[in-house]
Amino acid sequence: MAVVAAPHRRINVGQGEHLVTDDPSVLLTTILGSCVAMCLRDPVAGVGGMNHFLLPEGEGDGAGAARRYGAYAMEVLVNDCLKAGGRRERLEAKLFGGGRMFDALRDVGQANADFAERFLRDEGIAHVGGSLRGLGGRRIQYWPVSGRAMQRPVADAMAATPAFRQPPPVVDAGALELF
Amino acid sequence: MPAASAIHTLIVDDQQSMRSLIRTSLQQIGFREFREAADGEAGLREMIGRPAHLVISDFNMPKLDGLGLLRAVRAHPPTAGAAFIMLTGRADRELVQRAVQFGVNNYLVKPFTVAQLKDKLEGVFGPLA
Repeated sequence: MAVVAAPHRRINVGQGEHLVTDDPSVLLTTILGSCVAMCLRDPVAGVGGMNHFLLPEGEGDGAGAARRYGAYAMEVLVNDCLKAGGRRERLEAKLFGGGRMFDALRDVGQANADFAERFLRDEGIAHVGGSLRGLGGRRIQYWPVSGRAMQRPVADAMAATPAFRQPPPVVDAGALELF
Repeated sequence: MPAASAIHTLIVDDQQSMRSLIRTSLQQIGFREFREAADGEAGLREMIGRPAHLVISDFNMPKLDGLGLLRAVRAHPPTAGAAFIMLTGRADRELVQRAVQFGVNNYLVKPFTVAQLKDKLEGVFGPLA
């Protein structure tokens, strides 16, 4: 009898985006250059997701743009995992990306990778795998419910290094003036 | 003109990196006195144990969320007069309206800049020295 693999529902996670699901058929994909993707899940609740971020230029400490944007990019993924039934103490993460691109004057990937590792340490979230830094881009596939992840190099590294896109402007609460 | 350094602040957020970021931002504005709590329940215990002048609280938190903390702080006479600024991950009109109903002093959407935080604080305390 032939074994037929269950069909995947493939969803791409672009830069500045994140997605959380409890659907075991969902496969999250992304292409990373110097960007980093955090793949996060709660193995007991069976929920997980991925984000994909590139820090703006600046220091990763203090209250600079890099730290502000990075902390926010991580928080929205963590919060959505918790809203979907995850528990903070059970969360485990795989980190991918932060590659050094061939034509880069400054190693932006290193800064992104350093930030992501520090975030996991600060938050006490288990860092259970992944692949950070190195040279060039990579394509990531992540099944957020099972936690399985696959990576392969991307030949056209430039395709994986989009110019930094400013995070979308935060829309204020409409015309609601409080003070 | 109130001195920022004299304002005792309680920072409530379930993410350590966000608490640290808020603390650093407040230090840049001139604040010096901080305490921190990782969820609404712990924040309420801190406030009841020793009321702060200002609470800066996330909305999404386990155990007791920011709205629950706000209601509890307002319901407890020794803490009812504290200034309360709510942090939200998105501009949510309904959430802001409920927070106003429960007596929030101001709100701030993440990710925020130090200048935006200062504007919101001065909206509550007036110009800060």
